Amino acid sequence: MFGFNLINTLSGLLIITSLIVIETRSLRRSAYYYAVQSIVLVLIFLTLAVTTGQKQLFLWAASALVTKAILTPYILLRGEDRVASAAPPPQAVRPALAIVLAAISVVVSFVVINQLDLKIANEYKPALAVSVAHFFFGQLCILTQRNILKQILGFCLMENGSHLTLALLAYSAPELVEIGIATDAIFGVLIMTILAVQIYRKLDTLDAASLTSLKG
Amino acid sequence: MYTNYLSWLLLAPILLSLAAFSARWAGKLAMRVAEVLHFITILVVLILGLLVIQGVLVEGSVVALNDWLHVDALAAVFLLIVCVVGFLVGIYSIGYIRNDVRTGELQADQVSTYYGLFDLFLFTMVLVVTANNIIMMWVAIEATTLGSTFLVGIYGHRSSLEAAWKYVIICTVGVAFALYGTVLVYSDAVNFLQRPEAAVLWTEIVKNARALDPTLLKLAFVFILIGFGTKAGIFPMHAWLPDAHSEAPSPVSALLSGVLLNCALLVIIRFAIILEQGIGPEFPQMIFLIFGSLSVVAAALFIFVQRDIKRLLAYSSVENIGLIVLAFGIGGPAGILAALLHTINHSLVKALMFCTSGNILVKYHTRDLSKIKGMLQVAPFTSFVLLVGTLALIGSPPFNIFISKFSIFSAGFFSGFPLLMVVLLLFLAIVFAAFMKMASSAVFGSLPENITKGDVRISMLAPIAVLVILVLALGLYLPPQISMLLNQAALISIHGNAAADASISLLNFSNSELPIAFLQFAQLFGR
Repeated sequence: MFGFNLINTLSGLLIITSLIVIETRSLRRSAYYYAVQSIVLVLIFLTLAVTTGQKQLFLWAASALVTKAILTPYILLRGEDRVASAAPPPQAVRPALAIVLAAISVVVSFVVINQLDLKIANEYKPALAVSVAHFFFGQLCILTQRNILKQILGFCLMENGSHLTLALLAYSAPELVEIGIATDAIFGVLIMTILAVQIYRKLDTLDAASLTSLKG
Repeated sequence: MYTNYLSWLLLAPILLSLAAFSARWAGKLAMRVAEVLHFITILVVLILGLLVIQGVLVEGSVVALNDWLHVDALAAVFLLIVCVVGFLVGIYSIGYIRNDVRTGELQADQVSTYYGLFDLFLFTMVLVVTANNIIMMWVAIEATTLGSTFLVGIYGHRSSLEAAWKYVIICTVGVAFALYGTVLVYSDAVNFLQRPEAAVLWTEIVKNARALDPTLLKLAFVFILIGFGTKAGIFPMHAWLPDAHSEAPSPVSALLSGVLLNCALLVIIRFAIILEQGIGPEFPQMIFLIFGSLSVVAAALFIFVQRDIKRLLAYSSVENIGLIVLAFGIGGPAGILAALLHTINHSLVKALMFCTSGNILVKYHTRDLSKIKGMLQVAPFTSFVLLVGTLALIGSPPFNIFISKFSIFSAGFFSGFPLLMVVLLLFLAIVFAAFMKMASSAVFGSLPENITKGDVRISMLAPIAVLVILVLALGLYLPPQISMLLNQAALISIHGNAAADASISLLNFSNSELPIAFLQFAQLFGR
């Protein structure tokens, strides 16, 4: 029982760290907060591994530690170094509104998840709802942020959400599956960061609102 | 033996693409080395792909790597597209990229990156169509986005970087939804399939689809359609498509439109089959009908106002993917056969048209249709293929799309959707008019100044000529191997496997429930 409670509590912590990542103005600090959040995710994986006795979840925790808590923040920070002189674009949506939207996505996720009968994960329903909400947070971040590097962080948050869903629902899947998904995620961050730096060098801005030459 | 071919079909392109990347260190020879490695890659993929397809014809299916790779007739149809179109467009690439280097559009040291990415992209698409593990299908689709992002943005212009950014953001966000659909199906399947290794396999899930929870299945399918539908360019998730298709180098546009969209579609079909086996065909067919029709209607309206040749072609892809989805929605042997045939036909014609648009770009340095005029005086062969491609695309006989479009609409008329078919035909008339206007104004009309006469080089014409021959040939004759593949693929779509009644052929279909049109086609095919 303690294990389930711990998992559900830790997933609550994920929500708080995401809000901090989204609302922090400084890109560098957001990247660090993201690393903190990934460590919370690793702790959830470890707790899951102990409570369910599924050994491969230790492997998941290890790979999440390397790719999400170390490599991804490192790539983001390196990218931010290259655009250090950029003026931060204005926020498209006011922070208060973003928090309201986030709250709505949490409520909706809880309602939807509660109606489903997922036999293997009924004990983790709160955690599962959090993971789905977290996925929507990432999308929210992509939609509300005009800074393209911040949009990449949105992608990372989305990834953390879906990774948690995967750990809760598909922990028994062969390891290669998890490796494939983690590889996609890290390459995704790498490719987007390189592209963002290219865009900055060409357009001299990180503002997504200036990417509007193609229409119709 | 075929198992080995299948393993190498995946191993060879990834190794060769890495080699092509590292050709950048070959000094002055970098470009030539990359070209040679690229040629070997596309040739190896073509040969191994065809061998695997032969294996499917002989043995029914080919599996490798503990069933993680599985090529049945349905996959073989799409593998055929990947390897044939990949090869022809790959050849066209060589001439096109050389021209870009000559004109300074690309730097010589970018060439190895281009070929490395091109071949990697080809590998990811082979992985999509051969995957049997549903989560690996997702991983492979995501990898197609990552592999092609830099191809879309390779020119480094403001607009191409913008297109690449929209492409990677919209597709990764969209495709992430599909992961939820996939995981829902897996987590439900793992409850009754004892071994978790089996619960990830599509073939195992299909066999046991009746045990899946109907509500979860429907929810999962909605996620799958939003997710992979983004990648397939289904309206309203198509927003990335016109930008990426128009800004990418033309051979890449051909690959995106002719091959990639179909790969994403195949994965959607795979999940639709699970649904049909689990809860019956009504739900997926209704969804397909709605999204297919919407795509056709929306694309027709966008096509009508386009002034950019590549965006015009891009919206035409939305329209044709819409038609394919619609045909799956019509369902039954007639609808599914028509859908599969149209997939092959559209892929060939669209590759032909995007390569032709590449030649036009080389001559006119613009995609603006108001400036592309009088081509007949400058580039007679390119004008000819543009006319052929346009006629083929709008569905005029004797070209291949005529047969598949006719089959789709006759299937629709005879399966209880006459009104919908009439409405959609009206929208196709808009497309017809827009394309005829485009082709006639480009080919005829007065030649603008400063255009040097003389067609593009033979290396950029030969692959197009082959495509023209294929487009015409498939309009007159369907080889028995392809019709056998289509038959079996249709059986898989209906029953979940081809073994059920493999003796049924196109002709037998026409005796029982197929519309008259197909009977005529069957005679036309000489079978």
